[in-house]
Amino acid sequence: MAKTYQEINEKIAKGEAVVVTAEEVIDIVKKRGVKEAADYVDVVTTATFGPMCSSGAFLNFGHSDPPIRMAEITLNGVVASGGLAAVDTYLGATQPSNDRGIEYGGAHVINDLIAGKEVHLVAKSQGTDCYPRKEIDTWVTLADLNEAYLFNPRNCYQNYNAAINTSSKRIYTYMGILQPNMGNITYSTAGELSPLLNDPLLKTIGMGTRIFLGGAQGYVSWMGTQFNTACERDEKGYPTTPGATLALIGNMKEMNPEYIRGAVYEKYGTSMFVGVGIPIPILNEEMMSFVSVENKDLHTNVLDYSVSKGGHPILKKVSYAELRSGSVDINGKIIKTSPMSSLKVAREIALELNHWIKKGGFFLQEPIQAFPMGNALKGLEIKEGESR
Amino acid sequence: MITKKILLSFPKVATGKPMAMELIKTYNLDFSILKALIDDNIKGTLLLEIRGEANDLNAGIVFLRENQIGVKEVQSMVVVDEKKCISCGACTAVCAVNALEMDENWSLIHHEDKCLECMLCVKACPMRAIHAVM
Repeated sequence: MAKTYQEINEKIAKGEAVVVTAEEVIDIVKKRGVKEAADYVDVVTTATFGPMCSSGAFLNFGHSDPPIRMAEITLNGVVASGGLAAVDTYLGATQPSNDRGIEYGGAHVINDLIAGKEVHLVAKSQGTDCYPRKEIDTWVTLADLNEAYLFNPRNCYQNYNAAINTSSKRIYTYMGILQPNMGNITYSTAGELSPLLNDPLLKTIGMGTRIFLGGAQGYVSWMGTQFNTACERDEKGYPTTPGATLALIGNMKEMNPEYIRGAVYEKYGTSMFVGVGIPIPILNEEMMSFVSVENKDLHTNVLDYSVSKGGHPILKKVSYAELRSGSVDINGKIIKTSPMSSLKVAREIALELNHWIKKGGFFLQEPIQAFPMGNALKGLEIKEGESR
Repeated sequence: MITKKILLSFPKVATGKPMAMELIKTYNLDFSILKALIDDNIKGTLLLEIRGEANDLNAGIVFLRENQIGVKEVQSMVVVDEKKCISCGACTAVCAVNALEMDENWSLIHHEDKCLECMLCVKACPMRAIHAVM
């Protein structure tokens, strides 16, 4: 029997909703079958905790007396955008600091702010009639700011490729350190627990979906950048290549520093681990069937990161069960596989979201607009000529 | 006969004294120098794998301490800060001997005795949670 968002929310309000994680639901479906499980379970919680470079924060510092129109801004030595109004800025997660480089970047400043630490704000301006101040040097905490919210243009990749290196040199990538001569394989996913792999056709996740973001209640605000719903899929509709992405928003003042962490990838750059949990309403048997997916049924390609021209070549298609097993056979060679995203913390997030819903502190929000299917990716063409 | 890996720290006053010689001659100990360095404050650090009878080893360590040399038993050249570690697994990708590996709950475990001291995990850790002991 089909359920509506309203009916599920009424159950949550009464404390009667049956909420399980996307890992727990697999056995429930095996025991009871899709039909009975769809009646029994109301919400399935999914989660991921991995490096997501396309992240950052909008901040408003408030006005000093006399005021300044901040043009060049640094926070703990990390450059933030001076391209917004007088005391607004956007701090990108991957921006390295002027003094410590990639070892401390925008993501670390964001983590420090969420942890309640004082952050050194230095800004300069040319001075205007209405904003006469030319310099400011002060310390701010998250509590001092008027607004501070994460706005991450691309999080939660639906699927992602695994990485290998066929060259004779070690390479340093955002997929970690790849040893020469196919010495290792790295992958980054929560697999059967991952949000968008449990709703492969985005039937319940869209603009306005309420989520867990960094320990706060946040929202899906838009389709993520490089949103690709025209990707390759298996016969059931699960993407076998990167696929959809989400733009996420949430109030930093309500976040937990455990779930938003600065990261450093050697000889690559700064990134940010973002903790995301998304509840999936079991509206019908189709959704129950989607969320019961297992790692053995989810696939990705192992790509050669030592070749960059014309895209990384595909070496093999593998299942997440194979990647999780610890090794994969490529052309007769047994190659060690290692994760890059934390399944341990993803499980904690799925459970925390589960508790929020069971306690009646988190209600499902039906998307106010569905995302487009069949949306393909474009590359960047290099056009000759200095003027047009 | 037992074997221990010990990290010795020599303050400025002790640097230059023939301590290792004493360990061999007086205390019947045998050792391999795994790593040695002297910093610009003339403070020395020496990592030894030391072998001998238990009472000789203990007496040797007492002798070193009496000469103001710090003695610390170590298993591995790297320390994982559990408060910073998020169990992502990035370090396990480069650990050829599986001294760092994921357990059945996808939590990082550190088998200190397996470490071959390549130190690649220090660079691979995105949380910078892995540090060298010297």
